[in-house]
Formats: sequence, C-alpha cells, structure tokens
Amino acid sequence: MSELSLFLGCVAPNRYPGIEAATKKAFSKLDIELDELDGASCCPAPGVFKSFDKVTWLTLASRNLALSEELNDDILTICNGCYSTLKDANDELKSNSNLKETVNKNLTETGHNFKGCHDVRHIIEYLSQEVGAEKIREQVSDPLDIKVAVHYGCHLIQPLKESGSELVKDSVTFFDELVEATGASSVDYKDKMLCCGAGGGARTAILDATLKMTDKKLQNMKDADVDCIVNACPFCHLQFDSGQKDVNSKYHKQYEIPVLHYTQLLGLAMGFSPEELGVDMNVTGTDSLIEKIK
Amino acid sequence: MGEQEQTYKIRKFLEMEKLGLENDEDMMVPFIFYCTTCYRCQDNCPQDVEIVDAVLQIREDAVHKGKMLESHKRVAQMLIEHGHAVPNNSAGKEKRKKLGLNEMPPTVQGSDKGLKEVRTLLELTGFNKLVAGEQCKDTVNEAGVSVKNADYDNSIAEEST
Ligand code: SF4
Repeated sequence: MSELSLFLGCVAPNRYPGIEAATKKAFSKLDIELDELDGASCCPAPGVFKSFDKVTWLTLASRNLALSEELNDDILTICNGCYSTLKDANDELKSNSNLKETVNKNLTETGHNFKGCHDVRHIIEYLSQEVGAEKIREQVSDPLDIKVAVHYGCHLIQPLKESGSELVKDSVTFFDELVEATGASSVDYKDKMLCCGAGGGARTAILDATLKMTDKKLQNMKDADVDCIVNACPFCHLQFDSGQKDVNSKYHKQYEIPVLHYTQLLGLAMGFSPEELGVDMNVTGTDSLIEKIK
Repeated sequence: MGEQEQTYKIRKFLEMEKLGLENDEDMMVPFIFYCTTCYRCQDNCPQDVEIVDAVLQIREDAVHKGKMLESHKRVAQMLIEHGHAVPNNSAGKEKRKKLGLNEMPPTVQGSDKGLKEVRTLLELTGFNKLVAGEQCKDTVNEAGVSVKNADYDNSIAEEST
C-alpha cells in the first residue's frame, strides 16, 4: 500500500512535465508506490501568496495537505517552493490550534478537514533519508561519467534547517551524495549555495534583476566546466533553463549549460532514454549532454 | 539581492517600519519585491533577526492597503481562474502527450469539483476582494529601474511564482 502521495505543483506538470514523468519512472524502479493527488492546486507559492495574505496561503495549503491525509499518506513534493509552503504550513498549523481552527472553519465548507497527522517530504530529502545513496547506486544500470553543478536551492535547505534536520548540520552534502550515486561527479563551484534568482515572487515582479543573479550563478558553473546543472526544483529549473536564454540575449553571453532536475538525472542512470524523461524538451539545448552519455 | 541592485533599499524600509514611520508605499512596493526570500541575510545575521519574515510582513501590509504590483495581481487572478499560479497551456499539453502522460495533470485543472472548492476558499478568506482592488502601478522608480517592460509582460503570462 502506498504511503506517499505525489504533489505536482504548477511548473512541473504544466511547463516541464518531463520532471513528472521522470519522478514516476524512477520511483517505480525503486519500487516505491506513489498515489496521485487528485484535485490538488497550487501549493500556493510562498513568495507571492504568503505575502499577499497569510490566512489564504495557509487555507489553500491546508486543503492540499488534507487531500493527502484523506489518502492516509505523507505528501511528497518535487519542488522547493511547494516544500517550503507545505512544510511551513503543516508545521505552523500543527503547533497553533487557533490558526488550525480558523483554517478548518473555512475548509469544512468544502468537505475537508486538516488534522495534522502526516508529514511533508521533499524528494531529495526523502531519497537521502529513506532510500539512501547506496540503494540508489544499486539501481543504476548506466553510470553517468559527467561533471555536475549541483544546485540545492534555498527552500530545500531552509525548511530542513528550521526543523533541525541532521541533513543540514555542519557541511551540507546530502544532495551531492545522491548525484554521485548515479556515477556523476558533483563539482565544487564558487558560491554554490547562491539562489537561482527566481524566488520570492521576484521573477514575476522584476525579471531583469533576477537574471543578474542567474547570470552570476551560470558564470560560476561555467567556470567549473560542468556538463550540466542538476536542481531539485522546477522553478529553479525554469530560471536556469529558460532564464539562460534570456541572460544570453540580454547580456550577450553564450551559455549552453543543459539543465536537469535530479529525477531526470536518476532516470538516465537507470537506463531510461532522454526522450522518455523529457530531457530533450528544455529551452536550452541538451544535445551535448545526451551525446556525452550515449 | 542587494549585491545585484544598487537601488535595493530593504534595509531602509525595515528601519522605517521599525520606527513606525509611514513609508512612501508607491515607491516602496517594487523594492520590497526584490527579495527572493533566499534567507542568506537571515542565516548570517549574528543577532538572529528574522529579516525575511519582516519583509513578508511589510509586503502583506502593503497588499492589504491596496498596494499591489500589476504583475502580482495577474498571478492572483491565475490562481482564482485555474487554481494554479502557472496553469497548463497548449505547449504543456503537447509535451505531456509526447511523454505518455494525460494532457491534463491530475490536479485541480482537470477537476470541476476541485476548482469549485478552491474558489470557495478564496471567496471565504476574502482573497478575491483583496486582489481585485485599485492597484499600485508598476512604474519606473526614482532610480530609473523599469519594473515593467515588454519582456516581463510576456513572461508573466507564462510563468510566475
Ligand atoms: S532573503 Fe535576505 S539576502 Fe536574500 S534576497 Fe531577501 S533580503 Fe536579500
């Protein structure tokens, strides 16, 4: 019986569905069943909606959490933004009975009720803690001989830090370890923990300013001579992939760094084709990478 | 994002807020959205000042006073209309089909019942009203940084979070 429901969010299913396909394929290879979360909405996105109206943000989040509770599942996110919203909302509602009551008053009008009896997991944190790099290595049929710039993204680390997770004590390496389990090497680069630039509603409000940050990060990755970027978040993915084209045209740069979500990297190492994983559907070309791993 | 933009004035606004001074919000609104909520400042603050939370609070106060960027208002409308900040489109459907997925993901977009629930909640919390009011114009600010341009107009319809 499944114990996890897959929360898709917005950007993965609607812009980069390869990430959704890759997640399902990789999890079935790992023999972990995922329930579909029928009728789930936007998490809602922390940068914008949380700062418009916190109660609305909590209420919509509690609906998504309740849908998963109804399946008796923990909720699994493939996006740092969704993780931030759902984990923060879950923690806050569990610990504040007044807020929980406020939210449930509205929620019951739609036939749902938030109980606070389950956890929120991020796919990277889940794979690291519940599966482990060793077991992932066992499922790798096509080890990848490539150099990777790992991008953690802010909201993967931040909820973990707040929850006092062991994963972020001292040096943070849990994502790098999962990447290296595919045979790839995670290359160190300057200012690795810098934000992609997109978060907090900034991409929507001030695209140009966010691209400056992306440019800086891309340059640091390029200097490390990597074959691709691997992220844990469709929104970072979008900023690096689609944003890379914008940076090239705005700042007269010639970046050509392929961008992969971790599930796509894992899928490749498990022997799935780039087409099955949507690796060929990016804005920035991925041919150089596909050629290299043939 | 202070390093990136000389015009970034979060510290000033935090100070004004702290001192209980009224900000010139029309001027302030674009700047408070320069924060990507990366938590770098908060992580490094020797005094554990919860800077990001303060920024989010200032934003919420501004929105509740009717000061909201046009671009953010449009994202809010997406949520009301589709239940998603970034809804599916024809390119998305095409990609999904190629990958052997259903054209529509199993989310609220493909569920009349689900969408009705989301809209009911947005109605009950007063969100619809909140984001429907007269909005703060996205303008060229005093430092000459255009926060509204053609590129951003194009991008917003496509992607936003
Ligand atoms: S979280 Fe802090 S460091 Fe990061 S963009 Fe916002 S104000 Fe700047």
